[in-house]
Amino acid sequence: MTATISHYLDSIRDSLRLDILSKKEVISELETHIEDEVKELTEAGLSEEEAANTCISLLGSAKLVARQIYEAHSQGTWRQALFASLPHLLFCLLFALSWWQGIGGLLIMLILILITTVYGWWRGKPTWLFPWLGYSLLPVVAAGLFLLYLPRGWSWVAIIIYIPLGLWLLYRIINHTIKKDWLYLSLMLLPIPIIIGWFIAVEWRGFPEYSLERLRHFAPWIGLSFLALAAAVVTFIRLRKRWLKIAVLFITGLTTLTLVAFYAWGRLELITFLLLILLMVSIFLIPALLENGVRSGKWGKIFEYRPMA
Amino acid sequence: MTQRRELIKGNIDSLLLCLMSQKPMYGYQIIKELEHRSEGYFQFKEGTLYPALHRLEKVGLILGKWQMLPTGQQRKYYHITDKGYAILVEKRDQWQDFLTAMNLIIQPSGSK
Repeated sequence: MTATISHYLDSIRDSLRLDILSKKEVISELETHIEDEVKELTEAGLSEEEAANTCISLLGSAKLVARQIYEAHSQGTWRQALFASLPHLLFCLLFALSWWQGIGGLLIMLILILITTVYGWWRGKPTWLFPWLGYSLLPVVAAGLFLLYLPRGWSWVAIIIYIPLGLWLLYRIINHTIKKDWLYLSLMLLPIPIIIGWFIAVEWRGFPEYSLERLRHFAPWIGLSFLALAAAVVTFIRLRKRWLKIAVLFITGLTTLTLVAFYAWGRLELITFLLLILLMVSIFLIPALLENGVRSGKWGKIFEYRPMA
Repeated sequence: MTQRRELIKGNIDSLLLCLMSQKPMYGYQIIKELEHRSEGYFQFKEGTLYPALHRLEKVGLILGKWQMLPTGQQRKYYHITDKGYAILVEKRDQWQDFLTAMNLIIQPSGSK
């Protein structure tokens, strides 16, 4: 195989955002195609280099081929779309139907989310897993916060054992997700600025009764914001074009944050709102930069990116 | 040439299903077969073939199977599925109706 062909296949491999198995199949298929065509062209009298160049020009730009193949694979079924949006819908129901007021409902939901996440993780991390994965981190964070409020001495347990363990878990998740596609990391983290926004709006300080009253007041709007996220996820899964997928998530994120600021009137200062917007932008920007760094080898030592042979 | 490309693009599913209904084929073979049977009319960017094949495979109209050749080389052969065959019959009927209607209008010899 000439250097031109190797370079062409490497370009497709780098631009192709599919799971490892599908990527391997696509590259093998194209490689066989190129081998067949180069053989035929050399038999017709062309030099190997000329044959390789002709073949590549007939196939078209590597980026275009990769993009079109991605679009052929990127659309999920309606069933996958609904399943991916289910954690958002569950959170929507939690607030819309006041399930949050009973600890039983909340616990059942969190256990269901954890079981589904573990199942998806061991079943090859399909696209529907990532929204579930985001919510499954909530109990991990909540348990860490709870440990910090324990009597002195116990909070050291959180600092020494729990926080490093939590960070290690986060690193593993980011590492595996970034290898698949940075966009899934954004899909996973999308609810975070919205949850933080509502958390600030409810004011979890001072009298618990006051906070609970505020939570009751905001509950329908919190439910609505999770419903918006569910709709965005369904659209994300059903769309083929990558830029449209990014646009849907980003616009929904910004619109939902604006909804939070609107209904939490007076409770979210402008600077807090702007910081939340910045966090939302970072949720898209940081994973993209991270993936770029990993692929270019800049952060290869931190995140284990191994291009396929 | 652009118009011809657009025409091919719009009918690529029917062309691929039709070829695969006759025998299982692999990518490069499909390109050669289309070019040969159309006497050179169907020439398109080869890179667009694979996205089309993968799209048809994803919706279950065709099925790709890897086959090991005696030379040790592996090739992915695409087979038409029952669902694909049903769609082909439908598309063929639509095409025949369209062609008949077009001929009634376009062909000068058909005038009263």
